[in-house]
Amino acid sequence: KKNKMVIRVFKQLWSSPVGIRTTHFWGPVANWGIALAGLADINRPPEKVSGLMTTALAIYSILFMRFAWMVKPRNYLLLACHAFNEVVQWYHLSRKARYEYEKRDF
Amino acid sequence: QTHNMSPWAGRFHQFWNHPAGPKTIHFWAPTWKWMLIVASLSDLSKPASHISLNQNLALAATGIIWSRYATQITPVNWNLFAVNVFVFLSSGYQLYRIFKWKQEQKALEAQNSVTEDENL
Repeated sequence: KKNKMVIRVFKQLWSSPVGIRTTHFWGPVANWGIALAGLADINRPPEKVSGLMTTALAIYSILFMRFAWMVKPRNYLLLACHAFNEVVQWYHLSRKARYEYEKRDF
Repeated sequence: QTHNMSPWAGRFHQFWNHPAGPKTIHFWAPTWKWMLIVASLSDLSKPASHISLNQNLALAATGIIWSRYATQITPVNWNLFAVNVFVFLSSGYQLYRIFKWKQEQKALEAQNSVTEDENL
């Protein structure tokens, strides 16, 4: 019975208009790479964090969360990816801000 | 005739009111993505040791995949296509810089270990 459910789910994924054969799936999968790269860099020394790129990515993820919500068909995978990336980028920004604040030398 | 004074007025209205125009997220989200390229190019001034391999690998992958898929969605979004092509190119160049720097580090290490051996 469990196997039947797995087969049914897979069939749905395979034939769905937003399934694994479509761009609506693989585009967001590619964008998860950015979020996961941010996660992999979690312990990178803050002086090596690019303030400009991190800010650009943070704003980019806010905009694409809205885009994922409004696009037809609504893309929850893209929404999740960018919500996650938003948190990761804000974390990097906060680390960098703290580092810059602590080393300030006016 | 109301306030359409110039031949450009019609064009502007078409753009302004387009379903993927500047009043919608379909315009601003891809438009902002150009900032990732600006950020990537500004990082050219940083030493290669300071740029993230992971991030640039991810950006290069997303650039190439979304370039193709921007042409496969409805409606075809050439703004999204163009920005992703440039994301791929700029992060690809950063990847080249990182690998070149890594080669240089390896060569330096090899050199250092040779001189150490000589000193023994």
